[in-house]
Amino acid sequence: MEYFKRTLNTDCENILGRFQATASVRFEVFSAIWREINFSSIFYGPMEPNKCRVFTRLVLSVAAPYLLPPYAFQIRVGGLYLLYGLYSSQLTTPKEKVRLALKDWDELMRFQQDAVDAQHYDVVFILRKLLHERAFHFTAMPNPVKRRQVERQGQQLCETFIDRPSRAQELISTDMLEELANVHEHYENLKRVISAQTDQPILSLVKQNLVPKLRGAVLTYYNWQRNQTVTFFPPQSSRRAQLLALIKSKSYGQAVEHCASLIFKNKFNV
Amino acid sequence: MAEGGGVSTVSENVPSYEHIDVNSTPFHIGTFRNLWLGMLHPETYSYSQTSPETEDLRFISDMGIAPETLAELKSVCSTDSLRSHPEHEPPDTEAVPPEPQLATLKLRKRRQDYKKSLIRDSMGRHDVYANEMELLAIGRRPEDSKDLIPEGELILSFNVVYPVLFERFKHVRAYQTLHVLGSQKLTELRDAICCVSDLQVFGEFSNTPDTAPQFLSKDHYKSAFFFFEGTFFNDLRFSECRDISKTTREWAKTHDFPDFKTARMEDTTFYDLKVKVGYPYLYCHQGDCEHVIILTDVRLMHRDDCLDRKFYPLLTHKHRVATRKCCVCHLYISRWITTNDALAPVDPCLYCDQCFRMFHYDDHGNKLGDFKAYVYIDPGAFN
Ligand SMILES: [Zn+2]
Ligand SMILES: [Zn+2]
Repeated sequence: MEYFKRTLNTDCENILGRFQATASVRFEVFSAIWREINFSSIFYGPMEPNKCRVFTRLVLSVAAPYLLPPYAFQIRVGGLYLLYGLYSSQLTTPKEKVRLALKDWDELMRFQQDAVDAQHYDVVFILRKLLHERAFHFTAMPNPVKRRQVERQGQQLCETFIDRPSRAQELISTDMLEELANVHEHYENLKRVISAQTDQPILSLVKQNLVPKLRGAVLTYYNWQRNQTVTFFPPQSSRRAQLLALIKSKSYGQAVEHCASLIFKNKFNV
Repeated sequence: MAEGGGVSTVSENVPSYEHIDVNSTPFHIGTFRNLWLGMLHPETYSYSQTSPETEDLRFISDMGIAPETLAELKSVCSTDSLRSHPEHEPPDTEAVPPEPQLATLKLRKRRQDYKKSLIRDSMGRHDVYANEMELLAIGRRPEDSKDLIPEGELILSFNVVYPVLFERFKHVRAYQTLHVLGSQKLTELRDAICCVSDLQVFGEFSNTPDTAPQFLSKDHYKSAFFFFEGTFFNDLRFSECRDISKTTREWAKTHDFPDFKTARMEDTTFYDLKVKVGYPYLYCHQGDCEHVIILTDVRLMHRDDCLDRKFYPLLTHKHRVATRKCCVCHLYISRWITTNDALAPVDPCLYCDQCFRMFHYDDHGNKLGDFKAYVYIDPGAFN
């Protein structure tokens, strides 16, 4: 059965990619794509009942991670719709369940709250419908662990689906900016020493104010990114969502301010 | 929280991966259950269903929406909207649709065409069997309501691997899967594990073949232990039981190992355990018959599970092993093994009960010839 893992991944990424391209979180939009691909037919074909059960389990386990971080909000919505579609169109009786690990429950509830705050009622409705139908198994781990196969292939994360803020944050960590400022300062000093010996204005080759410029570029990117995210959290949505966005932007901005001031301190030895 | 409370207790009992896809961090099973129950609304794991009307009213009030909005949501989010075919023309789900778009279906089609070229799928049988056992129990409700497993109970799955003691198990790691309830005692799992070494009969019986069945190992050597996370859980239910972990513990003491603890198997439930999912532990019985035992899954009971307490521990998978047939009739499963047997084509040689007696004894039950006979328990006899 494991040989279906790769193609199942391809199929999930394909439908989620098409959903992503619509820049929507509406279920109508998702279901139109689903119908067009005839995604329900993934369960069609002759299969003995026992294999059918194992196959269905595999299908659900491949789709389940898209519901959770590090995927971006829109992908997670798509992931929820995908699970809903797969859960309801499976051909086994009783239905195979979607596994949910204890560590992921908080994330799911936060996701639900974000959807409530942004008044994405279809998202909330479908999640509650699944819970109401007992579509989940509340487990210790995302998948049963058997220790049988020696070589295991972890599911690859689809890069374009991942929530972006985390990556920008990684880029401008305090340590990294400080290190960069130090290296840059050292480099400028060296250049200065060399140009003093030769008269040639080599210093002009050095990018002035490298660190502030980098910070500016990242901030611009961040603002653009925030505008993108706002698409799913429209301004008319509740105060909490705005507050959340504000908090996120603040902590981000502060991190940058903080690094910058540190760097200036270092630079002028105050 | 059953245990201590405290933030550290909470986070350390939320299992996460210690090694990705291999095993979890150690956690206390009872606390883990309480964490789930503390987070979920009891309806989420209840066996009974809230009425749709109640659910609707709740949604309307929680979201602060008009009833018309809910009606619209219901129609937009209906599973009908996922259907690619007209309502009254259900598709043939037994066939892969022609010209499929999905990569998975293309693969299924390829495999299906390939399979058709084979006479039959030889690997299928043992899967069918495993599934039959699982299906038998699905959704089973008890006749007597006192046997109904309470809502919010945990279900644990253990894979019990057969030891490599037997040459024939060397390449296939045969195992059985058992589901136990969190509230069950470790001894209940021990009693449910079936292993041929419990049925071994020690001794040479060529002079008195009729007395052999009285010497079942299970009845003579009752000591056993489980080893989980530094603790030996000894079965001390019977007066003949001894702490057979003692030798190991004493050896460990003299070799700079951290101190191992002991506990009684019969006093411990699975809720009391602190274990890792996916990690190999040990079950040892008959002195040296050692089984690797792995907890593969822990989850809350679901209303579609077997809800009859009497069925647990529930065997859901068992490896089918080929049986060894009698060397004479090639028909019946072997029950005797002989050595130094002048009548035998090979040494040692396997016989079914009938052929064994026919060849080795006269009409009055007198032994013919100078051979030795031992009871043979075929591992396949459990199929
Ligand atoms: Zn054994
Ligand atoms: Zn025979």
